[in-house]
Amino acid sequence: MCGIAALFSYRPAAPAVERGEIEAITERMRPRGPDAGGTWISPDARVALGARRLAIIDLTDEGTQPMTDVDGELRIVFNGEIYNYRELRARLERLGARFHSTTDTEVLLQLYRHDGSAMVELLRGMFAFVIWDPRARRMFAARDPYGIKPLYIADDGQTFRAASTVKALLAGGRVGRELDPAGVAGFWLMGSVPEPHTIFRSIRAVEAGTSLFVDERGAGGVRQYYSIAATLKRGVRDVAAAHLVQPPVLLRELVTDSLRHHLIADVPVGAFLSSGIDSTALVSLAAEATGQPPRTVTLRFEEFRGRESDEAPLAERFAREIGSDHVTRVVTRDEFVADLPRLFDAMDQPTIDGTNTWFVSKAAAERGLKVSLSGLGGDELFGSYPSFRDLPRIVRAARFPLAAAAASRLTRNPKGGAMVRYGSTWAGAYLLKRGLFLPDDLPSLMGADAAAEGVERLAMLDHIAGTIDPDPGTPFGRVASLEASLYMRNQLLRDTDWASMAHSLEVRTPLVDATLLRQMAPLLMVEKQRCKRHFAESPRHPLPPWVSGRRKTGFSVPLAEWAQLRPDGTSTRMRSWARLVMEQWA
Amino acid sequence: MRILHVGTDSFGGYGGIALYNRELIAAMASHPSVEEVVVVPRIIVGEIEALPDKVTFVSAASRGRLAYLNALRGARGRFDLVVCAHVNLLPIVRLITKHPLLMLYGIEAWKPLRDPLSNRLLRNVRGVISISEITSERFIGWSRYGGPSLLLPNSIRAEWYGIRPKNGHFLKRYRLDGKRVLMTLGRVIAAERYKGFDEVLDVLPELDDDISYLIAGGGNDVTRLRRKASDLGVTNRVVFTGLFPEDEKADLYNLADVYVMPSRGEGFGFVFLEALACGVPVIASRLDGGREAVRMGGLGRLVDPTSPAEIRMAILDTLASGGTKTIPEGLDFFSYTNFERRTHAIIDAFASNA
Repeated sequence: MCGIAALFSYRPAAPAVERGEIEAITERMRPRGPDAGGTWISPDARVALGARRLAIIDLTDEGTQPMTDVDGELRIVFNGEIYNYRELRARLERLGARFHSTTDTEVLLQLYRHDGSAMVELLRGMFAFVIWDPRARRMFAARDPYGIKPLYIADDGQTFRAASTVKALLAGGRVGRELDPAGVAGFWLMGSVPEPHTIFRSIRAVEAGTSLFVDERGAGGVRQYYSIAATLKRGVRDVAAAHLVQPPVLLRELVTDSLRHHLIADVPVGAFLSSGIDSTALVSLAAEATGQPPRTVTLRFEEFRGRESDEAPLAERFAREIGSDHVTRVVTRDEFVADLPRLFDAMDQPTIDGTNTWFVSKAAAERGLKVSLSGLGGDELFGSYPSFRDLPRIVRAARFPLAAAAASRLTRNPKGGAMVRYGSTWAGAYLLKRGLFLPDDLPSLMGADAAAEGVERLAMLDHIAGTIDPDPGTPFGRVASLEASLYMRNQLLRDTDWASMAHSLEVRTPLVDATLLRQMAPLLMVEKQRCKRHFAESPRHPLPPWVSGRRKTGFSVPLAEWAQLRPDGTSTRMRSWARLVMEQWA
Repeated sequence: MRILHVGTDSFGGYGGIALYNRELIAAMASHPSVEEVVVVPRIIVGEIEALPDKVTFVSAASRGRLAYLNALRGARGRFDLVVCAHVNLLPIVRLITKHPLLMLYGIEAWKPLRDPLSNRLLRNVRGVISISEITSERFIGWSRYGGPSLLLPNSIRAEWYGIRPKNGHFLKRYRLDGKRVLMTLGRVIAAERYKGFDEVLDVLPELDDDISYLIAGGGNDVTRLRRKASDLGVTNRVVFTGLFPEDEKADLYNLADVYVMPSRGEGFGFVFLEALACGVPVIASRLDGGREAVRMGGLGRLVDPTSPAEIRMAILDTLASGGTKTIPEGLDFFSYTNFERRTHAIIDAFASNA
């Protein structure tokens, strides 16, 4: 896990790259990689690469980046982990490749040499990387299928810039800071900025599951090599495979395989533990796979004591039963207030989430962990969000506009009035369900002109609809694709990245794995929400009923109390929190 | 020592389970302490092969349910071991003994049985013999069976196969002259859409035009696959043999440059052993018993059948590294001699408790 940066003055008229800029960008990412850092500038000063390193695989200096291949030709900066790098390396060695280290980073270089851009389809892991190919005089950049690891780019028509964070790109001093109305509108609508937009006009995200080349003509050749919707659609085609094995047994096999890959590290791997099914089942399966449960961490808040949302008692009980070395970390309002400036500084783009991950990552880092497993993604995979139930209902109800209007009046839902307007399509229903604000609210939040431009460029409904194209073919598949491609990608994964990296902690998400989704897709299409129950039954000793039967509460922090948020019509007061967050970018 | 083998098919049977049981019965009969193996078959479809010494084959049992029950009744007596050679026969075997030795092959044991009585009878079996680790794990996973369990993988009589030049007559018949040939052999039926035919077809358009795909076998899914090949624009590169005589099998394997079966439902994958015995490099699935047939990658390449990129890459790598065909030494792990030795160890482990 690292922070990476790249500059390429691709136009002949472009000024040479400057050491000061690449160093400033790289330095801004120091918490992402406290173990080592380095920069490289090509002899003709047209290309610069920079990296900060959090050493997890091959702790020797051989793993230092920017890294070159054994021939000293290709160079790479890489953020993330390639979990199948040993298999890939064995294959490359059979084909004659040579290596100077035991890192996954170097495997990427040789894979690029052998398979070119098709290499990305062979990777299992979370990654964002940039390879400089001097012979072809081009850069190759790619990002993992789900978008676990970030990669942002700025292209002014002469120089291409890339970095792991938006704020690092700004730190170089050559990228404009004008806010992007599309990004701002996206934040107000969804609570996070939907990629490829960012909060700044000059910066865009490399979209998840895509790769691109940059040559003397600039950035191009963008190729989408992975689609969640297409994967789920294929699951419908292959449903015969779902009927072969008893679901909990198949889930154990597939998730354990994912876990085994996610446990590859040269440092200890811990785990976030709540009292929910996803993290407890993961910890159980990890214990089965390795013979020893990982060290575990749970948060506790005084404000939740005695309430259902207090996860600590059951998590402690589970940890005792499974025998894990467990710590419950108490977080208070005072600590929140003290941390808030640093939290906002680390927050790469405005978001209404991430505080929970900030504190649990801090707790894990305090335990000396560099890597922690998280059950993130289980809700999207197993369909346990209310949206899996509600979205199909909204779409169905919107077919009867009069009834829908009456129902929304009766329920006094603040978004109820928009039901008829948005609810008839899956994209509209999703906006309605997940939206923080609705498009009609934007002028009052960001001004009429900016709102108009933002709404037009954002094209939110088209953007949402694009995440279920191709159509996964079932209501479950559609919601699963929407949640994984939007909420999970733009909010959960992005927040997990900045909030954990601020504490130099790598969070690994075995349930957010493109290989796992491919393998599970037929089962998901048949078993749908029942998969959660099957997952609870998947360990050799199924989860106890006080875990599997517990009502879902979500991983939340008492933000309303801590930040003394004003009532805003929502139960969580997230609209008030959003206003506070957005002030940081004003 | 006397052994009773109650099975679906063996001698005079067709297919993988019949072949496996013929080998099993022969190996049991060759145990020095075994005086007789009484075999009660449910199905006989073809000519009965030469029976090994000490085997009593009750062919009358295959004439119908009543005849089968009568044969079992007639077979009552003192047996040191009763082998239930198919999980579906557990209720019938219960008429003979409470504690049979149960044989497991593949998907029939990967999820709870339809018959609740069989699920209950499982608890009392003396032991479970599984063709593969994956079948054993999947069976134990749902049944929570906690008794003894041993593995007995397929055997291959490599001398029945061998490396041969591509048969000119077959090359002409299947229009494969000058082509590099991928091959999958198996039943092509709609109920078994987990053999990997679709997965190979999916990547064929991305492979060079001189690469053809030979689907050896017949069944009711051929029409769909033909239509799919047409939709993918590879009609001219896909050959369906339909059902073929057993004596053509070795020549068919020898047409192949790569045997590829990215399946999800194989308990073991005997076809991989056959292909290897013909010197054909194989690509097997990481997600089913195929991985054990190629000894977790030691005898062949493993791929994730859900990943078109991996399948494509494995095919290209294997074709590129193709030179002189060789039969891997490691195939000896599955020799009949080893199979016989394992079978004797199983008899020693279980019959002694009779």
